[in-house]
Amino acid sequence: MSALEYRVNFVTGVTVEMGWMVIKLLYVAIVYKAGINIGILTPDHILLFVGTYMLMTGIFMMYWGNFSSLPGMVQQGELDLYIVKPVSLQFLVTLRRLDFAYLLPELIAGTAMIVTGWRLAGLPAGVVPIAGFLFYLACGCLLAYSLFLLPYILSFWIISAGGIADISSALWDFNNMPSMIYEKWFRRIGTYILPVFVITNFPGLFLMGELSPWACVWGVAAPALFFALSRALWRFSLKKYSSASS
Amino acid sequence: MITVEHLRKEFTYYKKTTGIKGSLHNIFHRESLIKEAVRDISFSVEKGEMIGFLGPNGAGKTTTLKMLAGILYPTGGKIEVDGFIPWERRNEFKRRISIVMGQKNQLWWDLPASDSFYLNKCIFGVDDGSYRDIIVELSELLEVKELLNVQVRRLSLGERMKMEILAALIHRPDILFLDEPTIGLDILSQKKIREFLKIYNAQWKTTVIVTSHYMADIEALCDRAVIINQGRLVYDGKLGEVNQLLGKRKLLSVKTSCPVDMEGWRAFGMVREVSAAGAVLEVPQEKVQEVLAAILSGLQVEDFTVTEIPIEEGIARFYQKEAAEI
Repeated sequence: MSALEYRVNFVTGVTVEMGWMVIKLLYVAIVYKAGINIGILTPDHILLFVGTYMLMTGIFMMYWGNFSSLPGMVQQGELDLYIVKPVSLQFLVTLRRLDFAYLLPELIAGTAMIVTGWRLAGLPAGVVPIAGFLFYLACGCLLAYSLFLLPYILSFWIISAGGIADISSALWDFNNMPSMIYEKWFRRIGTYILPVFVITNFPGLFLMGELSPWACVWGVAAPALFFALSRALWRFSLKKYSSASS
Repeated sequence: MITVEHLRKEFTYYKKTTGIKGSLHNIFHRESLIKEAVRDISFSVEKGEMIGFLGPNGAGKTTTLKMLAGILYPTGGKIEVDGFIPWERRNEFKRRISIVMGQKNQLWWDLPASDSFYLNKCIFGVDDGSYRDIIVELSELLEVKELLNVQVRRLSLGERMKMEILAALIHRPDILFLDEPTIGLDILSQKKIREFLKIYNAQWKTTVIVTSHYMADIEALCDRAVIINQGRLVYDGKLGEVNQLLGKRKLLSVKTSCPVDMEGWRAFGMVREVSAAGAVLEVPQEKVQEVLAAILSGLQVEDFTVTEIPIEEGIARFYQKEAAEI
């Protein structure tokens, strides 16, 4: 809400985000122009995957500002006045500001690309595929929130966690293209150890019928597991909070 | 309502020598030190009481307050606030307390204060009717009714502090913690806030703990003062009686028609000030009559007054005395 108080900044935010989007679209344009397939993925499938990545980026960027301000809040002792509120501190601190300037362009373009890719690739469009796709999208949202919050929670311990946070943000960009472009061993690490690929690839893979039963379970278990981990680490770390002198 | 027993808090910090050499050295080896911010503090507060924490900077006032509000975990000791252990941070506990910090805002900077109030209303689950009543009543008392819809960053420091206090009272807390609520404010705003707190406390019987290093705050608001220095509680009692603990002494101001030199005054007691028109002497209470009689018979006195030593001085001596003993 407070972001909307500054109209010029809001419009600039939307414009910059659209600039980034054009860059991402160029990748897809190149794939189409070259007409190459990656494994079983045709350019139409790739359009769907990149669209999913774009939509997820919009949703993630909407609240990511709260994560990045967490180390500063810990350092300056700004959590003091949030701790005394009778609601979940994690909820209040990590989702208090939502930036719609990031969400809007990515939401529109991402959805358009998903729908177009879906149709062109001739993927099934019944209730089950749509519901499944949306379900894994929701799981991906929860996983993105939990997984990328973890490095920021470290700021309770080491006060300044800029370096670790930068590495984790770079991990996000591995989803720029479908995970199939990577080597098998790298794909395994990105799916089962640091499950960044689960976030944007699983909805598309489910739609294509390419998710093994084990992967279907992991697509649900990973978000639950990492969410529980983020809750536990948050609670544990809060005991380390030392405020700041005033 | 509040019981504190043998409360302790330690912070770990690191030492670094000046310059890049010190920084490089710290990457490989850091010398960690422990600061005892609060050492063995015990006291209790009754319901509806208004007490003040006094002490110099770094005395441990704010740290104690933060432990009472559940913001910090203590290193040792016990606290019970209204039957709750603060650092368990139960929601029922949080609904009963509120904290205002002079140097931190809870209001959203880019939005009008009314938006932050509404957020607090939703967080604390205050019903619409009570919310409206509280806003009307408190904004009138604090004289900020016209400013409710102005962006917070456009408000003056005094206006902002009034809004911070209003935001903290929306859920009608039983206990209110105030950390330096008048810091940096002009005299008029300080006075207004003090008056408001006094009225509020009388009307709602809210227990209030206020920290300040402004003597006037505590003097105007609290009957009881807790003086903290270097993490220890050094005084707990009525503010007006602080001086008595340091030895009952009085100030004797004497005006004479003929100038008397320093040596001449010293014969009567400890000289604090001397001028051509007279002097101010500090004398033990039991000797006031005797000294006065000697002055009246020995000098040509035009006027004299006997006063208490200002409380600030008594407190300042408390700080120095304790610092010298530790």
